[in-house]
Amino acid sequence: MINKNHISTKIFIIVMMIFLFLPFFNKSYGVEPDEVLEDKKLELRARDISKNIRCMICQNQSIDESSAPLAKDLRIIIRSKIKEGKKNDEIYEFLTDRYGDFILLKPPFKLTTLALWFLPFIFFVIGVYVVLSHNKKSK
Amino acid sequence: MKKKILILPFVIFSLVLLTFFYLLIIDRNPSEIPSTLLNKNYPKFETESLLKKEKFLSVKEFENKTVLVNFFASWCKSCSTEHKFIQRFSDDETIKVIGINYKDNPKKALAWLKKLGNPYSNIAIDKNGRIAIDWGVYGIPETFVVSPEGIIQYRHVGPVNNKIFKKINSIIKKNDK
Repeated sequence: MINKNHISTKIFIIVMMIFLFLPFFNKSYGVEPDEVLEDKKLELRARDISKNIRCMICQNQSIDESSAPLAKDLRIIIRSKIKEGKKNDEIYEFLTDRYGDFILLKPPFKLTTLALWFLPFIFFVIGVYVVLSHNKKSK
Repeated sequence: MKKKILILPFVIFSLVLLTFFYLLIIDRNPSEIPSTLLNKNYPKFETESLLKKEKFLSVKEFENKTVLVNFFASWCKSCSTEHKFIQRFSDDETIKVIGINYKDNPKKALAWLKKLGNPYSNIAIDKNGRIAIDWGVYGIPETFVVSPEGIIQYRHVGPVNNKIFKKINSIIKKNDK
């Protein structure tokens, strides 16, 4: 009886481990074969940019992973801009001019986003201060 | 002094909670992203027309009047639901209603218009969705109001309903004054 339980626990752990690590193996990409550029260097650049661009439809995916039609259109535009010899910054500008900063997965460091970047640190400092002062008192 | 500081996390937490609660109860669509094109010139374009033999030139179509730009397609279900509102806009002579047919089959689009009625004075064909990208469109139907001076005044994502219809109408009336 004990032995049987032991085996089922083991199986349970193995299954859990498989599910835990699944996301690391199952890297899904939205890029389709017909989109890929022949020049590997340029293709890598396109992939790099796509990873930073938000899919406006799925919103929490990059266009590199998304299979939404708009994501595909944007991937194709990025590649054609790279072929035209446009710099990365110019491509990002092209996209933010149309879709705003929201299209960038990482919010840019600007005056309007200062709070977004610094508030966590401020809260952390306040938290540490409160905990420390509380500890001193209880001692 | 120390005691006062101990209240601080509680105060901050309550503030955060209040903010979240406020955002929860106010009337807003969290998935709607504000357009960066607002208060800017409309993106000019040139393409085929679904209704006319001559090319669709935005510079020619957008002039002196308030223009309602509606991205639609025959395959888009919400486009059928908002159709009656677009039709009501076309009865207003102070404005011009322009359609942009997004990634559609021209034959199916024409059949769709025949069945429901054509509210558009002219229709631009956006075969591969490139015009839509220049307008920052990410899900049709989308509707824009362009002032007689060519400035984008309003953008709505999703089907036009009674509330949006009234909102757009108030912008149109302001322009007409």
